[in-house]
Amino acid sequence: MISDNAKKQIDSWIEKYPEGKQSSAVMEALKIIQKENNNQLTHDSIQAVADYLDMPGIAAAEVATFYENYNHQPVGKHIIRFCHNISCMLNGADDLISHLETKLGVKTGEVTDDGLISVKKVECLGACVGAPMFQIGDQYYENLTIDKIDKIVDGLK
Amino acid sequence: MLEIEIDGQLVNAEPGEMVIAVTDREGISVPRFCYHKKLSISASCRMCLVDVEGAPKPQPACSTPVADGMKIHTQNDKAKASQKAVMEFLLINHPLDCPICDQGGECELQDVAVDYGSDVSRFSEGKRIIAPSDIGPLIQTDMTRCIHCTRCVRFGSEIAGIMEMGGTGRGEDLKIEPFLKEGITSELSGNMIDVCPVGALTSKPFRYELRSWQMNSINSIARHDLVGSNLYAQTYKGNVKRLASGDNDAVNETWISDRDRFSYEGLTHDNRLLAPQIKVAGQWKEVEWDVALDFAVKGLKNNILNSRNVQKLGGLASATATTEELHLLQKLLREMGCENLDYRLNIKDLDNAIHLQSNIKLADLEHIDQAIVIGSNIRLEQPMINHRLRKAQLAGAGITTLNVKEFDFNYKTNDIIVAPNEIANTLAGVLRVLVEKSAEEVPAYLLAVTPCAQAIDIASSLLNSDKTVLILGEHVVNNAQAASIANLITEIAKLSNSLTLNLTVTANALGAQRVNFVPNSTGMNVNEMLAAEMRAFVLLDVYPEYDFHHLDEALNTLLNNDVFVISLNGFKNDLVAQYSDVMLPMAAMYETSGTHVNINHEMQSFSAAVGAPGESKPAWKILKVLADLLELPGFHYENSTQVLSEVAHQMTPVHEYDTAINLDKSTVEVETIWTHSPYHTDALLRHATSLRASKIGQINTASINAATAKSLSLSDSDTYLGVPVDITETMADQCVFISSNQATNTGAL
Ligand code: SF4
Ligand code: FES
Ligand code: FES
Repeated sequence: MISDNAKKQIDSWIEKYPEGKQSSAVMEALKIIQKENNNQLTHDSIQAVADYLDMPGIAAAEVATFYENYNHQPVGKHIIRFCHNISCMLNGADDLISHLETKLGVKTGEVTDDGLISVKKVECLGACVGAPMFQIGDQYYENLTIDKIDKIVDGLK
Repeated sequence: MLEIEIDGQLVNAEPGEMVIAVTDREGISVPRFCYHKKLSISASCRMCLVDVEGAPKPQPACSTPVADGMKIHTQNDKAKASQKAVMEFLLINHPLDCPICDQGGECELQDVAVDYGSDVSRFSEGKRIIAPSDIGPLIQTDMTRCIHCTRCVRFGSEIAGIMEMGGTGRGEDLKIEPFLKEGITSELSGNMIDVCPVGALTSKPFRYELRSWQMNSINSIARHDLVGSNLYAQTYKGNVKRLASGDNDAVNETWISDRDRFSYEGLTHDNRLLAPQIKVAGQWKEVEWDVALDFAVKGLKNNILNSRNVQKLGGLASATATTEELHLLQKLLREMGCENLDYRLNIKDLDNAIHLQSNIKLADLEHIDQAIVIGSNIRLEQPMINHRLRKAQLAGAGITTLNVKEFDFNYKTNDIIVAPNEIANTLAGVLRVLVEKSAEEVPAYLLAVTPCAQAIDIASSLLNSDKTVLILGEHVVNNAQAASIANLITEIAKLSNSLTLNLTVTANALGAQRVNFVPNSTGMNVNEMLAAEMRAFVLLDVYPEYDFHHLDEALNTLLNNDVFVISLNGFKNDLVAQYSDVMLPMAAMYETSGTHVNINHEMQSFSAAVGAPGESKPAWKILKVLADLLELPGFHYENSTQVLSEVAHQMTPVHEYDTAINLDKSTVEVETIWTHSPYHTDALLRHATSLRASKIGQINTASINAATAKSLSLSDSDTYLGVPVDITETMADQCVFISSNQATNTGAL
């Protein structure tokens, strides 16, 4: 389940923690495994990480389901992480999310048929000054409007 | 000792104690959900907020340590307002479906809501719903009701030793659920039902049965193992409906095993023997009690008493019987002059029987520094004893196991895999090291022994630790060197100052020992009886295909037409019906008063929680009437307490036994250890449907390593002695370890 390459990377994280505290590397390990598996975590891959770090499967699952940056469903090439926390919500995020959903013909959590784009609702990304906002890859897009969204999304390939 | 003030009342407190521990002790009620006295503090529900003078905000009583002179208000406006606010939040997503919830009437949330909740909800938005998940046959989940107190999660990781439940998701998507698809598998899982403050985790077999206030709750004792866990039998109209754990720090603290909790289902199984029956011309006939008893007495007179051959009468009992029952049966036999009696039906060779004292108290087990466990899958076989051992290990004790196979323990162990015929030698090695370290002379039988590396390790771990215990488990019962192994342990204990724990006997075997349910030198033991020409037997709660080691011999003897057999049983059994002449239906667990002697040598008495079903009667009454009809003196008992007082005045007899140690190895080609799987150790358990359906209840495997399997031409799809083969690498060569839920197939052993 875990490739040798992934093991090497995980081991380098385990080394950073005191002996016996290897489970501290769980977040990085999950990230590494996710990257290797089409950007997605499955029940089995979470269990594999847990086994590798000698921790209960449920404990790894707690982490994997707490943070938004782990995907539990298939995702597209680009993931639009739409903030729906307080500041963004007050500034109309919900309407913008519905617009995006209709435009792409998918619901949040789903992928477009061509596998290009998926939409995810996430919690505050720390960019409340620019609310409403979303993130694609490493890039933040702030003060979003319907026009702005259309332009950004149409530019994705 | 500190002095603090709670609601204007001065009370004493220990430094480091939490406020809630003090209020609980003083009987001051503080509402709480996440706090549980035996679990770590999570302080997550905030229900226990109290006002501490000087603190700007209300403080959680469960995680606020006391300080000298602290002034606490649990009832003032500030405290009340906070508690009410928390309650309102907790109820936002709660379905308030109390009318269809099994917890209704015994729900902490319901109780607290009555005191602190408001009558009308201000929350008009939609509530969240969690789809139900199936976590096994024992626990019903309704997670929409969960208030995320995490007691079940902490129970799993802290007490059961496997974290099975966890909180996934976040914010309003937080869900408490197991990760594993097979659901919850712990041998202590049922305690989650007790710790869950709401109706999210309830008993599955009890689902939709009754309201808690409709039932009577009677203190009782579980008798499936040596612990004798304290519990409550909850009954309704003469049936046990549910069992819940009781508190007794010296015995089971506040936990019970699933085996103790769910066995009651067997009581109402269709297979109960409900009416006395006699066999006339080979045909069974249901009759009145007086007819059956007369028939029994006549049979005894014709076969034994009239011809004065009482040496041809035998009495056999299973160790599940109560102390009173065992006492009356031995008294009845001995009053007739019969010295043939035994409860050790599962022992292959009684000259090789184990004699080993248990001299450690249960509660002290958790304070040991080093334990050596020999021949036991202690986690599943003795869950509550294992729980104490686990606590010791977590506190730093070393646990070394000497087993034929690596078992799955819920704590760190140092596992040494040894074939059964190597145990004695390994222990002899340990003893030799100890003897040499002491100034004593090396006895002759140790001269040829060279301690192996593991023996040296064990010896030094014993010498380097303060409090040590040697635990002998049931896998050694029929070891070819069983007696020597026990004697070696006694010697090792002497030299290393260790205590000992004998788990080779179970249920109420210590009660049987107490009433001397074994023959003296003039009588016959079970195996001698089975080989002798007998004319009559009285059998108490015996199920031959599970209980006898020598099943073929037993059936040979018992099926003989010249042998008159009186059987007292709680359940019907085909073999019993074949060999018996009279079947007397007896009350099962929770249906009779009596006493269980536990591993602490404590006599724990219990009263009957329910009446015996149908025509069945408590066995002590049956035996008493039988004795009266036989005109034997001294059976004028009105209740079982009078029987017990007779026992209490007697000392446990001490029997001489052979202390010799013989290190000649057995040379059987393949050594087989047969054990009953954990939920099949007595008749009641074998009829408990939900337990049987659970993962542990399904265990039925003959473990063999690949090399041995090959030499026996066995593969994973074969059976060995009728038990499915499981090939595993972590076990000794040329051995088979069987944990079976089938009848014992010892013909080949
Ligand atoms: S299921 Fe029960 S015990 Fe577990 S977190 Fe929910 S309310 Fe607490
Ligand atoms: S609430 Fe959206 S970025 Fe903070
Ligand atoms: S009981 Fe104190 S916070 Fe839950």
